[in-house]
Amino acid sequence: VKSLLQIALGIIAAIGGFLDIGDLVFNTQAGALYRYDLLWAVVLGTVGIAIYSEMSGRVAGITGRPVFDVIRTRMGFGTGLVVLLASTFVNVLTVAAELGGLAIVLELLFDAPFSLFVVVAAIGLVIIVALLPFSGVERVFGYGGLLLLVFIAVAVHQGPEWGDVAKGFVPSFASSTLYFYFVVGVFAAALMPYEVYFYSSGAIEEGWTEEDLRENRLNAVVGYALGGVLASALVVVSGYLLHPLGVEPNDLGTVALPAQDAFAETGLLMALGGMLFCVGGAAIDSSFSAAYNLAQFLGWEWGRERGPRRAPRFTASWLLFVLLAMMIVESGVNPVEITEYSVVFSVVALPLTYLPILLIAGDRSLMGEHVNGRISSTLGWIYFVVICVLALAAVPLLVATNGGGG
Amino acid sequence: MKVRRSFRIVPAALAIAAAVGLFSGCGDLSREELSTGVESLSALAAQGALVADGVRRDATKSTYARVMAKTLGGEAEHEAEKLADATPAPEVRRERDAAVRAASGLAVLYLELQTFPGDEQRGARVQQRMHEAKEGIDRIVIRLTGEAP
Repeated sequence: VKSLLQIALGIIAAIGGFLDIGDLVFNTQAGALYRYDLLWAVVLGTVGIAIYSEMSGRVAGITGRPVFDVIRTRMGFGTGLVVLLASTFVNVLTVAAELGGLAIVLELLFDAPFSLFVVVAAIGLVIIVALLPFSGVERVFGYGGLLLLVFIAVAVHQGPEWGDVAKGFVPSFASSTLYFYFVVGVFAAALMPYEVYFYSSGAIEEGWTEEDLRENRLNAVVGYALGGVLASALVVVSGYLLHPLGVEPNDLGTVALPAQDAFAETGLLMALGGMLFCVGGAAIDSSFSAAYNLAQFLGWEWGRERGPRRAPRFTASWLLFVLLAMMIVESGVNPVEITEYSVVFSVVALPLTYLPILLIAGDRSLMGEHVNGRISSTLGWIYFVVICVLALAAVPLLVATNGGGG
Repeated sequence: MKVRRSFRIVPAALAIAAAVGLFSGCGDLSREELSTGVESLSALAAQGALVADGVRRDATKSTYARVMAKTLGGEAEHEAEKLADATPAPEVRRERDAAVRAASGLAVLYLELQTFPGDEQRGARVQQRMHEAKEGIDRIVIRLTGEAP
């Protein structure tokens, strides 16, 4: 019973921690611009992250090696270094985007200067990480993120034509570069590389073994599937309310408007509270990912559970990444813009992140009986091809659409 | 996304093109660019009506309404400045002037919302005027493109 409870709690945290600022921004914009037409891209991204997270968790549980360790071993020092630089660049941008998002939500709740809240948010995150154990951090933000379930309630309350919503799950292709830019954005927002870095390193922090593979699978399949429902709800509520009015959600605050419209102040507070937790949790995950990658690549002692005394360079690099992100946001760049760039640039780093996971999860000599089955392997390779195509298209689309400006 | 961009390649190219246009005596604001700007004003008016609706129904948190009004008002003001600074092609000068007036009007409405985020009556009035502003802006779009945004 205790084990089942543990699994259920893990799944709940996975749902609440599924979204980050990239999903909030891209899914809301996708709904506002294309109504329900991009729901299929949400599903595509959700299935992708579930497949690769499950694989990376399985690799961590069986081999005891996190993703970046695998990358370096499999691809060699030179390629590993390139991946490290690319992933660190994207991770720092992501931390900045999440930190900026956190400050925006705090500003919306308490109306004090944005730059003050950037500092408050950074210090707050450091204190939370210092005080809570690893699993505690994950659970607090995961459970808090469940407030975003209000968007599912909003979707039901709005009562859209569900037939039209269902049609959105069938891939459609408009003849506009902007549409394809949002396909890439929505897909990539679900598949941000930091998520698998954090997932696999977290599995090692929590001491996963072969016995935890069931929890891993349920987290990835059930938790992420339900998280995908939440991500889809963002598209639906935005498509229902903002699309007919011609609203272009250029600000994070606009994400909460449908909740306010449906459930007044209670809805608004739930939406903002959920955003606070999900963006805060993602800020921690992405900053940890940056530090995990660096420490694992350079062979340092690493891990939140080891603490600053046993892993001083890991802790220092984590603090440095948070500080760097804080400086980026304080420079005055709009966090929503940073989000868009971090999501689109992350697509370019995706193949180098996911190929080593796919290779090692399919290596029987390392994985034994837990090697990729036929379904995992086929899906993994199909997704890898999709990822490569999108990686080639991402930057040209960013330039051609003026960063989504049309 | 039609807000300020801090590091963009295309805007930089547009800026260079604008400078070339300016020195050669041509307008740097084409019909298409103007209609894109005006459409973003229409979106701002629509969003303003939604924020004002929350104030009208006492269905919002005043900090949220105030910060949203401040942010969106800043965007309207920025758009007004951008349009005012541009040199329009002669055939769209009238529409450009109307767009600048509309953007300035939106900025004023947002300022009212920002100042009184807890006043339901003002919320109702601002919402109404946002709707009217949007209708006016949409008429400019129709003049420019021949179709509603």
